[in-house]
Amino acid sequence: MIRARDLVKNFKVHKRPPGFASALRSLFHRTYETVKAVDGVSFTIERGERVGFLGPNGAGKTTTLKVLSGLLHPTSGEVTVEDHIPFKRQTAFLEKITLVMGQKSQLIWDLPPAETYALNRAVFAVPEAQYKATLGELTELLDLGPLMNKPARQLSLGERMKCELAAALLHRPTTLFLDEPTIGLDVAMQLAIRDFIRRYNQTHEATVILTSHYMDDVVALCPRIIVIDAGTLIHDGDLRGLIKAMDPDKRVSFTLANADDDLSKLGSILTRDGQRVTLRVSERELPGVVSHLLGPLAVGDLAIEDPPLEDILRQLFGQRAKEKESPA
Amino acid sequence: MSIGRAFRAMPTMLRVGVAETVAYRAEFLVWILTTTIPLVMLGLWNAVAAQGTFKGYSQADFTAYFLATLIVRNVAGSWVGWQVGEEIRMGTMSMRLLRPVHPFVALAASHAASIPFRCVVALPVAFILLISSGGSSLATEPLQLAMLAPALLMAWLITFAIMFAIGALAFFLTRAMGLFSLYFLLFMLLSGYLMPIDILPGPIRVVAEWLPFRYMVSFPVELMTKSMSTTAVLEQLALQVGWTIASIAIAMFVWRRGVRRFESVGG
Amino acid sequence: MTRYLRLAILQLRISAASGMAYRADFLLGGAMALATMAMTLLPLLVVYNVVDQVEGWDAPSALVLMAYFLGLRAVLEGMISPSVIDLTERIRSGAFDYVLLKPVDAQLLVSTSRYEPWKIIDLVGAIGLVIYALAIRDKPVHAVDVGLGIVMFLSGVIAMYGLWIVCASLSFWVVRLDNLTFLLGSIFDVARWPVQMFPTAWRVIFTFVVPVALMTTYPAKAMLGELDARSAFATLAGSFVLLVIGRLVWRTAIRSYTSASS
Repeated sequence: MIRARDLVKNFKVHKRPPGFASALRSLFHRTYETVKAVDGVSFTIERGERVGFLGPNGAGKTTTLKVLSGLLHPTSGEVTVEDHIPFKRQTAFLEKITLVMGQKSQLIWDLPPAETYALNRAVFAVPEAQYKATLGELTELLDLGPLMNKPARQLSLGERMKCELAAALLHRPTTLFLDEPTIGLDVAMQLAIRDFIRRYNQTHEATVILTSHYMDDVVALCPRIIVIDAGTLIHDGDLRGLIKAMDPDKRVSFTLANADDDLSKLGSILTRDGQRVTLRVSERELPGVVSHLLGPLAVGDLAIEDPPLEDILRQLFGQRAKEKESPA
Repeated sequence: MSIGRAFRAMPTMLRVGVAETVAYRAEFLVWILTTTIPLVMLGLWNAVAAQGTFKGYSQADFTAYFLATLIVRNVAGSWVGWQVGEEIRMGTMSMRLLRPVHPFVALAASHAASIPFRCVVALPVAFILLISSGGSSLATEPLQLAMLAPALLMAWLITFAIMFAIGALAFFLTRAMGLFSLYFLLFMLLSGYLMPIDILPGPIRVVAEWLPFRYMVSFPVELMTKSMSTTAVLEQLALQVGWTIASIAIAMFVWRRGVRRFESVGG
Repeated sequence: MTRYLRLAILQLRISAASGMAYRADFLLGGAMALATMAMTLLPLLVVYNVVDQVEGWDAPSALVLMAYFLGLRAVLEGMISPSVIDLTERIRSGAFDYVLLKPVDAQLLVSTSRYEPWKIIDLVGAIGLVIYALAIRDKPVHAVDVGLGIVMFLSGVIAMYGLWIVCASLSFWVVRLDNLTFLLGSIFDVARWPVQMFPTAWRVIFTFVVPVALMTTYPAKAMLGELDARSAFATLAGSFVLLVIGRLVWRTAIRSYTSASS
């Protein structure tokens, strides 16, 4: 179980405006300002959950993950992960968790991943039988076979990411912190990795916290979403809840049989591209609209969807930006 | 890649170079601290000359010599070799190759920008030099002192160009570090860094007088500490100009070959 | 404990494997060793051709001291510098975070991360030089002195390591420290001369502030049979103190890193 109570993390950042004079000045005197990366965040995550952290850049997601994994001391507040205090970095704690940072690599650059695996195995003191079993499982699930013995620098981004994941999971951790694991990968690889994470979560009952810029990752993988903006937690709950709260109307798309059918009474039109139309319809009116579409209008390719997560979040963060600008 | 463009961009590149130097003030400090070998050597030679002059050098002479070497090294030294080697190894050199200014020029500009700072650091040493040797071991010919600035500038340029060429070897060899060390050893011996060139054993001294290393350290030092005839000064200066051109040519040659290989093999 | 031992051996194997991959590296290593030794001995050659002794050190004694210097430098460049370079790279790329996530003491993990196996040639050369110097010396060689000399060499390694940890810790506070190893090498360069050669002020600095005297002068004296018990003890204690200081500075650096990294 992961628990955070009123977590606060501040940083001192060196401020230096551009220009020659200030460059010279900063040789002798540096000014700092305090940045509140995480400003009072609380949540509880049970064992085996898959949770997505969403938020704009610089919102504090990565910082929160780093605090949870023990890389950073919190400025104030309480954090426990599986009954450990993360920043103490006790051996028992480190053996239970893993952190994967999509933009930073733990593989030894000039050597094959196999050597990194051997190293990790020695570091985590994994018994031989378990190591063989885990490596076998990971090799199969991630299709690592030919990749393990090529130097890491010769692998493509996607291949390297798979090897990174394997390196991170060799010690069979039960809590996974994944920071942008699919960044820069193509769609097929993203799907493969998503699949793998879900499988690992189910097989080992492992808790997964995922941050990603790719909404699809989060939607596909995480039933629960925590939204963080400017260091504060603004939503914690399932995806449907968030969508319903922000924008309860459905999106109905279809292809018209006749291009000039009258749609005025059905709902507001979002897009109209020739015969392909998307309407915005409230849930209450949905049954009536759908039966009208399928019946008298006889449309084809009917689809009923929730609004895209991007729009929801843009709305959400847009709202907050407005609130900041005009204090009530 | 146009030369005109490079010239026009120079002021900006210099200015940014200053900002870079200032931003990494610790690295700057480290560089200053690392050029302490002359003082180390001075320890030995001073102890040796305590019993009397050694091959024509008294303690005061050695002090003046090595302090002058410290000044020259501080002003004319260069770490660009490491920088180039690393950028090639890390792959970030590709970024430089995409810009319309030749990496040699760009790096030269940013490194040249640090020279004023380094001169400022060298000034206290120059002062100590003046006071401690009481002028007896220093050169006083106005021509020599006048030629000091160009000699130092060219010394810097030669050092920069050769280091650049060695750094560029990283295009060909995955582990160029060993070569750096070998080069540095040779440099120390043949440039007058370890000991004055005229103290070197006969055959080695001859070699030293034919290689560019002399013009990276020894020549500016000689300008400061030995009295030389006008012909000698001008002669040496001309040779230094020659070596400056030659070392830049070598650097360009190695670079071009390296880039061609880089482009065909891939980063 | 076994975890650490296995780990150190494993990292050595990995470094050796990648370092010994090319025969050219072996040749280069050998050439480097020879060139370094020649270059380091040349000033001595020039000096002792003309004078018999400098500040009480005759030619064989100076050779022994130089051998200690070369031997220590072999250890520095073979075991310590490579790890320092690795560390600074990792800090810069952010991959150091992964080191902190491993259930192994970060200092130990970092200290054993990379080696240059061919530096062993330099070490062998240094040992050869000691044997040669002792042979051309007029005085008899005692087993006790040799034994103490070896112990003091190891203590010199420990002192050097402590200094290294302090320097390496600096790379946490200063983001870009490319020439860190060069700095170390330069400071260490002073160790090639007996500390007695320097004027008093410097002698104090080189014994207590940057204790290179602990690393070469006193250990060489031990091998020459000229070190009294008190100095020997003080040298060993000094090395230990350096090790402890190194550890404390490292811990402070990590604490600062884990409060400030983003």
